[in-house]
Amino acid sequence: MLELSINGIDVQVEEGSTILDAARFLGIDIPTLCHVEGLTPYGACRLCVVEINKGEQARLVSSCTYPAEHGLQVWTHTRRVVEARKMLIELLLAMCPSSKTVQDLASAHNVQKVRFKVDYSDCILCGLCVRMCNEQMDARAIGFINRGKDRRITTPFDVKSDICRTCGACMYICPACELRCQGPHPPGDVCGGCLNVEPVCLEEEEQKMCFMDPCGWCYKETGRRKTEKEK
Amino acid sequence: MNKIKTPAELNKIIAKNSVKTDKPCIVIGTGTCGIARGADNVVKAFKKELKKHNLESNVDLKITGCHGFCEIEPYLTILPEEIHYIKVQPTDVKKIIKKTVIEKKIIPDLLYTNPETQERIVKEQEIPFYKKQTRNILGNNARIDPQNIKDYFGIGGYSSLSKALTSMTPEKVINEIKDSGIQGRGGAGFPTGFKWEFCRRAKGTKKYIICNGDEGDPGAYMDRGLLEGNPHSVIEGMIIGAYAIGADEGFIYIRDEYPLAVKTVENAIKQAREYGFLGQNILSSHFHFDLKIVRGAGAFVCGEETALIASIEGRIGEPRQRPPFPAQKGLWRKPTNINNVETWANIPLIITKGSKWYSKIGTEKSKGTKIFSLVGKINNTGLVEVPMGFSLKDLVYGIGGGIPENKSFKAVQTGGPSGGCIPKSLLDTPIDYEKLKEVGSIMGSGGMVVMDEDTCMVDVARYFLEFLQDESCGKCLSCREGTRRMAEIVTGITQGKGKEGDIELLQELAQVVKDTSMCGLGQTAANPVLSTIKYFREEYETHIRDRKCPTGVCRDLYISPCQNACPVGMNVPGYISLIGEGRFSEALELALDTNPFPSVCGRICDHICQSKCRRNQLDEPVAIRELKRFIGDYEENNIEYPDIQVSKETIPFKVAIIGSGPAGLSCAYFLARLGYRPTVFESQPVAGGMMAVAIPEYRLPKRILNREIANIKKLGVDIKLNTRIGKDITISQLWSQGYEAFFVAVGMYGDRHLGIPGENLENVIQAVDFLLDVNLGNPIVSPADKKVAIIGGGNSAIDAARTVNRMGAAETIVLYRRTRKDMPAYTTEIEEAEHEGIKIHYLTTPVRILGEKGKVKAIECVRMKQGDFDKEGRQRPIPLDNSNFYLDVDMVIPAIGEFSDVTELFTGLDVELNRDGTIASDKSGRTSIPGIFSGGDVVSGPATIIKAIASGERTAVTIDQYLAKDRTRQYPWREHKIVDTYFDSEAEPMGYGMQKPRMLLLNQRLGNFNEVSKGYTKKTAMKEAQRCLRCDLEIDLKEKLEIDEKEAVC
Repeated sequence: MLELSINGIDVQVEEGSTILDAARFLGIDIPTLCHVEGLTPYGACRLCVVEINKGEQARLVSSCTYPAEHGLQVWTHTRRVVEARKMLIELLLAMCPSSKTVQDLASAHNVQKVRFKVDYSDCILCGLCVRMCNEQMDARAIGFINRGKDRRITTPFDVKSDICRTCGACMYICPACELRCQGPHPPGDVCGGCLNVEPVCLEEEEQKMCFMDPCGWCYKETGRRKTEKEK
Repeated sequence: MNKIKTPAELNKIIAKNSVKTDKPCIVIGTGTCGIARGADNVVKAFKKELKKHNLESNVDLKITGCHGFCEIEPYLTILPEEIHYIKVQPTDVKKIIKKTVIEKKIIPDLLYTNPETQERIVKEQEIPFYKKQTRNILGNNARIDPQNIKDYFGIGGYSSLSKALTSMTPEKVINEIKDSGIQGRGGAGFPTGFKWEFCRRAKGTKKYIICNGDEGDPGAYMDRGLLEGNPHSVIEGMIIGAYAIGADEGFIYIRDEYPLAVKTVENAIKQAREYGFLGQNILSSHFHFDLKIVRGAGAFVCGEETALIASIEGRIGEPRQRPPFPAQKGLWRKPTNINNVETWANIPLIITKGSKWYSKIGTEKSKGTKIFSLVGKINNTGLVEVPMGFSLKDLVYGIGGGIPENKSFKAVQTGGPSGGCIPKSLLDTPIDYEKLKEVGSIMGSGGMVVMDEDTCMVDVARYFLEFLQDESCGKCLSCREGTRRMAEIVTGITQGKGKEGDIELLQELAQVVKDTSMCGLGQTAANPVLSTIKYFREEYETHIRDRKCPTGVCRDLYISPCQNACPVGMNVPGYISLIGEGRFSEALELALDTNPFPSVCGRICDHICQSKCRRNQLDEPVAIRELKRFIGDYEENNIEYPDIQVSKETIPFKVAIIGSGPAGLSCAYFLARLGYRPTVFESQPVAGGMMAVAIPEYRLPKRILNREIANIKKLGVDIKLNTRIGKDITISQLWSQGYEAFFVAVGMYGDRHLGIPGENLENVIQAVDFLLDVNLGNPIVSPADKKVAIIGGGNSAIDAARTVNRMGAAETIVLYRRTRKDMPAYTTEIEEAEHEGIKIHYLTTPVRILGEKGKVKAIECVRMKQGDFDKEGRQRPIPLDNSNFYLDVDMVIPAIGEFSDVTELFTGLDVELNRDGTIASDKSGRTSIPGIFSGGDVVSGPATIIKAIASGERTAVTIDQYLAKDRTRQYPWREHKIVDTYFDSEAEPMGYGMQKPRMLLLNQRLGNFNEVSKGYTKKTAMKEAQRCLRCDLEIDLKEKLEIDEKEAVC
C-alpha cells in the first residue's frame, strides 16, 4: 500500500493506482473528459490536472495518468488548477460549443464567456472513440492522422473501413456528438447558467475548502452563502 | 581488416596514425553548409587539377566536415604551412595549386581579412572568430576526414573507450561523469551522470541507449555539424555510456533531412564494427554492444524523448505522460537512456582528460563548453563553441562580429521555438542553464538567432507559434488548441485586428499551456510569446492601439516602408512619384501637408526612411532626402499653403509655445491650420531654435529656413523674439493673461563639460556657444590662424570643425575617444570633413588643457585601446598607460553632448522632471500639470529634427483635444492622400543607381559659408524619382483606407 496526501488528507491506495483513483476514493470530484474506466488512461484533455509538491517544485500533472507515489502531496483544487481548468474548458467550448458534455463542464466551472473565435467543430480529439474501438471492440477501425492543428480521426486512408462492424461504440462514447439543450441561444453562447456551482471560497482561499454542494465554507464564515453583491 | 582485440593493439594503431608528415595536404570543409556554398565543386576542381599536374600521390586531399565559420565557406587549409583560404571558387583552384601548393606562395586575396584592422590573416586559428572560442569538441572537425576512422585514431580516437573498459568499472565511469558536472546538451540540462545512474539501477537485464539527433529547431545545426564532422566521437561516447549503464543495444536517431549525416554515421558504424569497437567482446573485455541508425521522419516533436521512443518502436511519434521515465520504462518498456549528440560527444573527452579537468571549464553550476549555432542578423554566421558562462554580449559582438550593415541589435532568441527572446538590456547575461532560465529563455539545444532593429517581435512570436501549432503532435488539448489559439490571436495583431485585452488573454493562455501540457514541447511553447510580451510589450501595444508596425514587417499595417519609418509619416511614394512626373508644386504641397519644413529636412534630416527603402535590396535606396530638398528649392518662389487645409474659423483659445525650434514651430503650424492663433516665445534674437543657431550656414542656409518660418507666420502664428520665459515673463503671468495651453519645446541648449583641468582657460569655448555666436554673426574668439582642437564625435563636433576650418584656422583637429565606426555623426559629414582636410584622431581623449597667461597653449591627451563591448556593440575605450602626449593648440571646442535646464523656466511650477533633467511627459505631450505640454529634445534628450517635428504635431493634436474637447474632429493631414500618378507595375525597375547631388568643389568652400551641396537639377531629380518601386501600390490602398476607417469607428 502507498500512502499519499490529497488536499491534506492522508490516503492509502494500492500500488499501481493513479492520483485520480486516490482522489475519487476520498470522494473528491476531479473533472475528466478523456478518461473512462475500462480504457487505458490517455491524459489528453488535461481537465484532470492537479498540483503536486509545493513551492518552486510545484507543478501540474494529469491525475488520470500520474501513478500514486509514496509520500506524494497532491492538491486538487488550488487556484492555479481551477484557473487552468477554466481556460481548458473555454478552449473546448470554442471548439465545440454544441456538445452538452462541454457545456455542462462550462457551467459547472462557471465559464461564462468564450474569448476565442468559435469553430463549431464536431470533434474535440479526446481519443475516446479510438481507444474504444481498439481496446474494447478490438476492431482498430479508426485512428488519428496528421498532427497539430490538422489532427483528426478517420479510417485508414480515409476510405470506408472493411473491418468496421458499425457497432456504434464510438458514437456511444463520444462526448462531442451529444447535443446540448436547444434553447434560444445566440451562436457561441454558453448555456446552463442553471448549474453554476463554482467554488466561491477560491476568492479568498488558495484552494477549494470542501466538496459539499453548495460549498459549506461560506456557511461557516457567514452563516449563509454569499450573495453576488457581497463577493 | 583485422579487428583490434586488445588495448595494446589500439595504442599501436593510434601511434601509427598520429605521426605528422610534411606531405602537403589540402583540407576542405564540406559539411552540408559547405556543399550548399559549392564546396564539392571545389573538391572536384582540385581532383582534376591535381591529376593534371600529376600531383595525386604527392598531395593529399582531405575532405572534412564543417569547421564552424559557415559565413566564409567554402574554405580550405593547406598543410603543413596551415594557409587558410576562404570563399574559394572552383576558378581559384588552378591558381592555388600553382602558387601555393607548388611555389609555396600565399595568395593574399584569398585570405581572411580582419574587418576591424583590415589585416590579412594566414592561419585558421588566428581568425578572431575562432580565436575567441574554446573549441574542445568542434576543433577536431578540422582535423578529421569523417569517412576515415584512421583520422580519428590520429587524434587518439577510441583510447578513452579503452581506458574505460580496461581500468574503470561502470560505477567509476558514472562517478566520473557525475563529478564532471556535465548536463544534458539537448536543452533541459538534466545532469548526465545521474541520468545514467537511474538507468543503471533500474530493474531489468535488457537496457537500451539512444542518441537523440532529431535536431529540429529552426536555425540550429550543432548536432549535424558533429555527426557530419566527427561521428566517431559520438559513437565512442555511446559505447562508454552503454558500458556504464549496462546496455547492449543502442540507436542513433537522426532526422532524415540530414542525408549526409546519415551516410557519414552509417559508414562510421560500419568501420567501428570492422575494427571491433562494436559487436561482441569489445577489446577483449567481455562487453558486447551494437548500434543502429533510425531515421526520423521529420516531426519536431520526436525530439521529445517519449515521442522519440514511440517513433523508434514504429508507432506514431507522440509523447506520453511521464512518469514512468524512460530510465524505468523506455524503449519496448525496458530501461532506456537518451542523450543528445553533443552530450555523447563530450563523454570521451571527460574520460580521457578526467572530471577534474572538465569541471574547471565553465561556471560554478554549468560545466564544460557548449556549441551554439549563431545565425540570423549577424556578421559571422556559424558554429561557435564557448565555455559556459561566456557572456551573450561577447558572443554576439565579439565572436559574431556584430550586426550587418551597422544596424543595431534588438534581441537574440536562444533555444529555438521553446526558448525566449533576450533583449539588448540583458546582453550581459552569461550563458548558462540557470541564468538563461532566469531571463525567461532556455539553453535549448544551442540555436541562437540574432535579430536586428528591423525585426518585428510580434512577427517573431507569430512565426514561432505557427511553427509550433504545426509541430505540436496534437495529442493533448492544451498544446494543440493553446498554440493554435495563441497563433490566431497574434496573427490577428499582426494584421491590425488586435483589440484591447489580447495581450492579457495571451498571457493567461500561455501560462495555462505552460502549466498543463503533457510534454516539453507544450510546456515551453509559450516561451516565445511570454518573453516577447515581457520585453517588447510596447511593440504589441503599438500594433494593437495605433495599428502600426514600427519596424515595417507586418504588411497589413503600413502603406510603404518609407512612410512607415518616417516619424511624421510623410507620403513619400506620393511626392516622389509626383516629382517623377514633373509635377513639382503638387509634390511640395503634399510634402507640406505633413511637414512644415520640407526644405530644411531635405538638408539635415537623418532620413531613416532611406534605410528602410526596398530599393536598397536591389542596388541603393532612393535618395528621398535629396528629392525632398529639390522640390522646395525648385518651387522656391511658389510655396503657397493649400487653403483647404486651413480652418476658416478662428479658434479663440490662446496657446503659448515656448521655443521656436522644429518642435515648437511645427506645433504652431498644425494648430494654426486648425484655426488657432498661437504665440511663439523665443529667447534668441532669431527664430528656428537649433536649426538657426547650431546648424552652420553651409549645411542649412538661413534663407531657406527663414522662408519656411515666414510661411508658418503667414498662417497667423505670432513669434515673439528675445523673450526668455522665466526671466522676462513667467508661465504663471502668461496664464493670467489668458493663455490656456503651453507647449514647452525649449530643446537642449547647455553643453556638457569635460571635467578636466584647464577648462576655464580663455579660448575654451563650448560648441553650442561657438556655433551660436558664429550663426548670429559675432564670434567672441575668431579661430582664424589658430590651431583648434574639437573634442567629440557627434554632428555638432563635426559642424564646429568644418566651421572653424572655413573661418581660416591654421589647423583643425577632432579628438574622439572611440573609433570611426562608433562616431554618432552622419557618415557623409565625417567624409566631407576629412575631405576638407580636417584631421580626426580616433581613440584619443584629452586629460588636461594647458595654458599660458590664461590662454590655451596645448592639450594633453592619452591614447585609448578598445576594451569590452557595451550593449550597443561599441567597445569601451580604456586609457593606455603612459601613452600621454601633447598637442599644441590655441583653441579648444568641447562638443561632448548637451543637456537641458528648465528650472528657471518653471519658476513657481512643480512640473515633474526626469532624473537627467528632461521633462517627464507622455507620448502625446502631457506633463504632470494639465495645460502644460512638452515635446522635442527637452523630453526625449538629443534627437533628430524629424522626431521633434513629429512631437510638435502630436502635441498640437493633444492640445486641440484638451482645449476644444471635440473628440470627433478629424485632422486632415493625418489622412493618407492617394495621388493619381501613373505607374507601370509590370515594367522592370529603372536600371541605374542613386543619382549624386552636385557638390561644391574643395577650393570653392574655404573662407566662405556657401552651401556645400547644390542639390539635384530638374533632370536628375526626375531621373532619381523614377527609381522608386512604389511599395504603396502593393496593397489596395482604397480598400485599406476603408477598412482602417471602419476599424476606427468600431
